[in-house]
Amino acid sequence: MALTAEVIGMLAFTLLAFWGIATWSLVRTLRQEDRKVEILKHQDRMDTYSPESLAELREWIENNPNDPLADEARQQHNECVDALKHTDMHYYDWSSEEIDRLDRV
Amino acid sequence: MADVPTKTARAEWGTRFGFLMAMIGAMVGAGNIWRFPYVMGNNGGGAFVLAFLVLLFLLAVPGLMAEVALGRYTNKGVIGAFRDVVGRGGMVGLGVVVLLVNIALMSYYSPVIAWTLYYAVHSLLFTFTQPGFEAEPFMLGLFDNAALMIGLHTVVMGSIAAILALGIRRGVERIVVYAVPALVIALAVMTIRGLTLDGASEGIAFAFTIDWAFLTYSDTWIAALGQALFSTGLGWGIALTVGSYLREYDDVPLGGGVFTAIGESSIGILAALAIFPIVFAVGIEPDAGAGLAFVSLVEVFPEIPLGGLVAILFFVGFFLATFTSGLLITEVSVTTLAEETRFTRTQTVLGVCGGIWLLGLPSAYSVDILDYLDFVFGNWGLPLATLMIIGIIGWVMGPERLRLLAVNQNAGIHVGRWWNPVIKYVIPTVMLFIMAYFAWENFGTAEMIGGMLVLVLFPIIGYALMSVIEGRGEQPDTADLTGGDD
Repeated sequence: MALTAEVIGMLAFTLLAFWGIATWSLVRTLRQEDRKVEILKHQDRMDTYSPESLAELREWIENNPNDPLADEARQQHNECVDALKHTDMHYYDWSSEEIDRLDRV
Repeated sequence: MADVPTKTARAEWGTRFGFLMAMIGAMVGAGNIWRFPYVMGNNGGGAFVLAFLVLLFLLAVPGLMAEVALGRYTNKGVIGAFRDVVGRGGMVGLGVVVLLVNIALMSYYSPVIAWTLYYAVHSLLFTFTQPGFEAEPFMLGLFDNAALMIGLHTVVMGSIAAILALGIRRGVERIVVYAVPALVIALAVMTIRGLTLDGASEGIAFAFTIDWAFLTYSDTWIAALGQALFSTGLGWGIALTVGSYLREYDDVPLGGGVFTAIGESSIGILAALAIFPIVFAVGIEPDAGAGLAFVSLVEVFPEIPLGGLVAILFFVGFFLATFTSGLLITEVSVTTLAEETRFTRTQTVLGVCGGIWLLGLPSAYSVDILDYLDFVFGNWGLPLATLMIIGIIGWVMGPERLRLLAVNQNAGIHVGRWWNPVIKYVIPTVMLFIMAYFAWENFGTAEMIGGMLVLVLFPIIGYALMSVIEGRGEQPDTADLTGGDD
């Protein structure tokens, strides 16, 4: 029995959608791990948020200053800002201008 | 003295790969091997794959991100994590519900692991390719032999206890980093063997022919929903427990969400590719469950070249899939009870495994009891556990807080605000729908009555227990989180 083009196409799509994404995410996360290990060989801490995530965290803190978790959020925000300002190697894609504009909350 | 380990020193995964394999090892179980391929083939093939993929990304990926993030955020097992969110008091009992469901699940899953162990051993003895071997009497002989089943159940729980007693890094991680790749390799080799047989293409056609009409059938979506939620183990406390051992700079959403959900489903796809070409090449009708693994496939192996070796690959792989799930299901109770009591980890392991062994005796004794419990907890107990975990994240802690504080911290991918309504509204609604749907479908049956008892009694038991333990009427110390934030 010869397979139809439709079946072969579906098989290819399925392999790509499942094994393709699984392999991509596995390789990506392991490479990210290697990068973090490399950074931590040179310094004792590193940035913990991407520019977009840190901006969202800051916005939330400013909008919810009395939230029960606001202090914890401030601490996490400030730790990231301190790490960015006092370390040379950064994990996320931060520009010097972006780091200069950051301040603690 | 500073080097003396204390009860409060918490273990961590030794490597990122160890964490990832623990997640996959936990989630890949019997369902991926003996259920997914059949459900896929019988629900429109490619159409089912599309529905399944949509639901994985809509529900399982975000849900697993939330559960792993809660574990990482609290660095505690189920009960401790619930206490951190809801505060001290009876409401911590909602976490006890998750624990009770896990213990119940493992009590009847251990005999299933015992079946796969028995078949793995017999595959190594080349029993299935012996002249005159008959598959169905062999299977029924196992199921009807209570002493043998109880013995195998004892071996399984004893092995799990021995590994868990070694700890997270020296025990669980050491096993899963080899077992999961071994399972994948076994299925891959079996796939290659199957695809080289005459008539294998019929098996591929059965699994991957697209019947678009199936996308308009509610049954297709219900089947895909069940597979997406139950296969990924969302909300059972496993992802929370595994996530609680993450290290300081570890990512949650890419590894704990995307890779886990898609990776474990990929093994189901691989199982379909491994099984159906062989089954169709020999001309046997596809089946599901024990009928597929223990009768159809066993009848197939003697018919194909190198069948004895293929049987070893399949049954050893199958055993590894179920055994690693059993390890992590049991770890949920071990982690939280070791934290909540004064017992050491070893004492807790012995207590938990002994308790599960005792509770598992009826299921080891009778397949009917096992089937009953599987139906009750599969349809109502596990969705209840999911509702508890996703419920406290969505409605007590608030998904926005968790997203900002844990999901996106050190993350390998950015998770946007779209995530919040999925956690708060979509997943809880789906879980309520599932429980109501199965109650409607099985209205008045013994299974439905058992399910309703679980839904009512487990929360009451949990609430009462934690009210007594934590002090009735004491004000929750972090209850001001209540209400969420979005």
